[in-house]
Amino acid sequence: MAIVIPKTIYNGKVKEIKLGSDMQAVSVGGENCFPFYLFEGAMPHKPVIAMEVWDSGTEDWPVAALEPFKDVISDPAAWANKCISEYGAEMICLQLVSTDPNGMNRGATEAAALAKKVADAINVPLIVWGTANIEKDTEVLRAVAEACQGKNIILGPLEEKDFKKIGAAAIGYHQTVIASSPIDINLAKQLNILMGNLGIPENALLMDPTVSSIGYGIEYCYSVMERIRAAGLTQSDDKLQYPLICNISKETWKAKEAKVTEQEDPLMGDAKKRGILLEAMSALILALAGGNILVMRHPEAIKLIKGILDELYVPSK
Amino acid sequence: MSIKKYRVIFLPENLEVQIEKGNTLLEAALAAGVHINASCGGTGVCGTCKVKIVSGDVENEPSQKLTKAEFAKGYRLACHSHIISDLTVGILPESRLDNAIQARENALLARVSTLNWKYSPPIQKYYLELPSATIDDNTSDISRIRRGLKQQFDLEGLLIDFDVIKKAPQVLRELGFKITITILNALEQDDTCLRRIINVEAGDTREHLYALAVDIGTTTVCSQLLDLNRGKILANTIVFNKQISYGSDVITRIAYTQKPEGLLKLQKLVVDSINETIDNLLITCNVDRNDISYISAAGNTVMQQILLGLDPKYIRLSPYTPTANFIPLVKAAEQGINVGNQVYLYTFPSVSSYVGGDIVSGVVASGMYQRNKLTLYMDLGTNGEIVIGNSDWMVTASCSAGPAFEGGGIKCGMVAMNGAIQDFAIDPKTLEPEIKTIGDAKPRGICGSGLISAIAGFMLAGVIGQNGKYNNQLKSKRIREGTDGWEYVLAWAKETQIGQDIVLTEIDIDNLIRAKAAMYAGCDTVSRSVNIACADFKQVILAGNFGSSLNIENAITIGLLPDIPRDRFVFIGNGSLSGARLVNYSQDISQATLRVARMMTNIELSENNEFNQNYIAAMFLPHTDEQAFPSVTKALGNHINSIQKSEGG
Repeated sequence: MAIVIPKTIYNGKVKEIKLGSDMQAVSVGGENCFPFYLFEGAMPHKPVIAMEVWDSGTEDWPVAALEPFKDVISDPAAWANKCISEYGAEMICLQLVSTDPNGMNRGATEAAALAKKVADAINVPLIVWGTANIEKDTEVLRAVAEACQGKNIILGPLEEKDFKKIGAAAIGYHQTVIASSPIDINLAKQLNILMGNLGIPENALLMDPTVSSIGYGIEYCYSVMERIRAAGLTQSDDKLQYPLICNISKETWKAKEAKVTEQEDPLMGDAKKRGILLEAMSALILALAGGNILVMRHPEAIKLIKGILDELYVPSK
Repeated sequence: MSIKKYRVIFLPENLEVQIEKGNTLLEAALAAGVHINASCGGTGVCGTCKVKIVSGDVENEPSQKLTKAEFAKGYRLACHSHIISDLTVGILPESRLDNAIQARENALLARVSTLNWKYSPPIQKYYLELPSATIDDNTSDISRIRRGLKQQFDLEGLLIDFDVIKKAPQVLRELGFKITITILNALEQDDTCLRRIINVEAGDTREHLYALAVDIGTTTVCSQLLDLNRGKILANTIVFNKQISYGSDVITRIAYTQKPEGLLKLQKLVVDSINETIDNLLITCNVDRNDISYISAAGNTVMQQILLGLDPKYIRLSPYTPTANFIPLVKAAEQGINVGNQVYLYTFPSVSSYVGGDIVSGVVASGMYQRNKLTLYMDLGTNGEIVIGNSDWMVTASCSAGPAFEGGGIKCGMVAMNGAIQDFAIDPKTLEPEIKTIGDAKPRGICGSGLISAIAGFMLAGVIGQNGKYNNQLKSKRIREGTDGWEYVLAWAKETQIGQDIVLTEIDIDNLIRAKAAMYAGCDTVSRSVNIACADFKQVILAGNFGSSLNIENAITIGLLPDIPRDRFVFIGNGSLSGARLVNYSQDISQATLRVARMMTNIELSENNEFNQNYIAAMFLPHTDEQAFPSVTKALGNHINSIQKSEGG
């Protein structure tokens, strides 16, 4: 008797969302099967790599992470363009580190002006990421939403405590938002429902499940993402069918395993290789869990993961 | 040829029935809807179905349960009397009393109540006129009493309390050897019943036979004073459990008992609370303290153990063992309860560390153990309990809901008594409230049912989001930022009894969401563990200290109760107190409680991962799983659409 390979029954589909303005749109999501289960369904888009651009705070970066961007570190727009032209970034993620009230505490107007400058300078969709400080993000991201009107930029993170005000601005200026929840499928779903109640259109919402590096609880993130996908795809839970964005490189490069130099701990080996592998492998795990957008930093880590994703992404005949 | 039918009339109600020849009177009574006690089920063993034939004839089997004199006067056992003519039958007062009490209990418990019990209080008084002691008859005082009981009431083999012996000589001689004896029928764990003389009083005191039913909640203590001669509630009272200053849940209470003198202190506080209820009741009813003869108390395992001074330490530590599931009667006065030293305290048998006598009591009162329809029983208290099952099986679990349902931990919360806001409606346009208080008094605070209806009203009017947070964009002077964050003013200071604004804060809403989430998640987890879906429940019995009413629709709207047809829900009020009352009315009930306690299988939720997941999922209004709440989601969707439209336009 011939062997019948069991197939998962799917009754849902991840929403396919077009990001950015029409001129430079990138689509994500749309799969109707588990990640890379191309033998069971279709995955119209490979996970997309968004490259990080920081507006300050890079002095804490390990040498290896900083090296490729030395020449553009003080000019976010130039940095973004270098990512696109030299390293093939499909999106840019501007991290507004300077607005942190516990750090430089740069004002909202200034941050918004910078976001607009970067958005104008690039031809790919722009993600603008705040500091996860409720009051400050509310102020900054609302200003950014207004300044970047017409660009369909992606604003995040929006949490239960600030989604209303930032969300209202996003609706008003037609931007996309990222619903950020603390590694919990139920809380993720609740926030998505609230976003819907607020009036955020279904095609303007991404989910940030909160992610961490290998060695810092990534199994937990994996499991929550897996459950989110299972609920959306096999239990037709339409509140959990939004594309997932993983802000991962920030996490990997601040880990001790990426920061310690070889001189400090010879047993750990080559720091550059280590940092790149930690980033690439963490990102790969999240891609396999269902991540649709991977926010990454090091060009070589990106090259590595793109190669693997290309190999995985072979639609069956 | 059809079988001949006869007409049977039952007095005093004058109820008439046509019944075929050869049927028994018991069957005729059933057909006529007349209640006759028949404890043995019609086998002729118990003799409780005694009736009097006023006219007509029946065919009888002989019975030892009737004396010759009774037979001559026309008394018959209904179960053994076959109808052979038209009849008029008198129902005896014993049966009628029982009937009336059952009818009253049925009314109290709405559509659910326990069946097939005979009015037989565990306490009885017997009046004796004994011959005075003479030189020819100088047997001991106690022997004299025993002889009287044997001769006049055929009572022998009784145990006797030493306290009775001590006071007997004086009492006997006080009114010339005319005395009243109080006898207690104490049910043991092995179902045997020991009869004990617990009191002797001078003269005829039979008219004064009272008992106390107490529900010892983590947050509140409720008591009822019962007249056992009439099977009647004389008064109700409710006070906060004075232990609440030492923690709002059972875990913190247990922790406190581990401090030096901690157990003693908490024991004293709960006794003080009970004593306060007794004082209230005695004053209200003008009853003498010494006429209370019995106390039954139902509480969760921790409350019962603390009341009895049993160290609850091991309840909190894995593997969570209680001291005893069955506790024999103890003297109430020895625990510090302010009643005469003849009074025994009955505590309900429990199931496990967190499923206590209160739930056993409630399940007995609801009669769910007697019916085969699949039932969900929920006790919405601080220590919330869930029972699923029917007459064949029952599983149970407890979850810590916190004191919100009883008005605890709520800024303007109060117990369900006069002046408590118990119902609420909101005008969706003006956002002005309409409140209803218990006793239609000026408001003093808000109780559990009020909270539930307020939150449901807020949800549907868009005053709060599904996360329980106020929509502070709304234009209403009632929505404002107070000292504890955003709040809604339910009543302005000038409209209240307390002279300050009665508000509902976001913290209050959050507390209620936690409470309802724990209950729903517990119910979800237990039903899944026995492979039952909420829609399978044929009946949902709700118990709790909500005052006279709990609005089912509102409770479903906030996601406390499953979204299933509304006619399956029954609210029985304080089920634990009902059970505590019923054990005072009938020894059959005390037997049933033992059986029910043994029947229940406990499911531990405290280390259950699935419960934690379900809990987070339920911390939303109504629930994260919208498919489980179709009617609420629909209602909510309409409102959200209209709000979005009006804001867009």
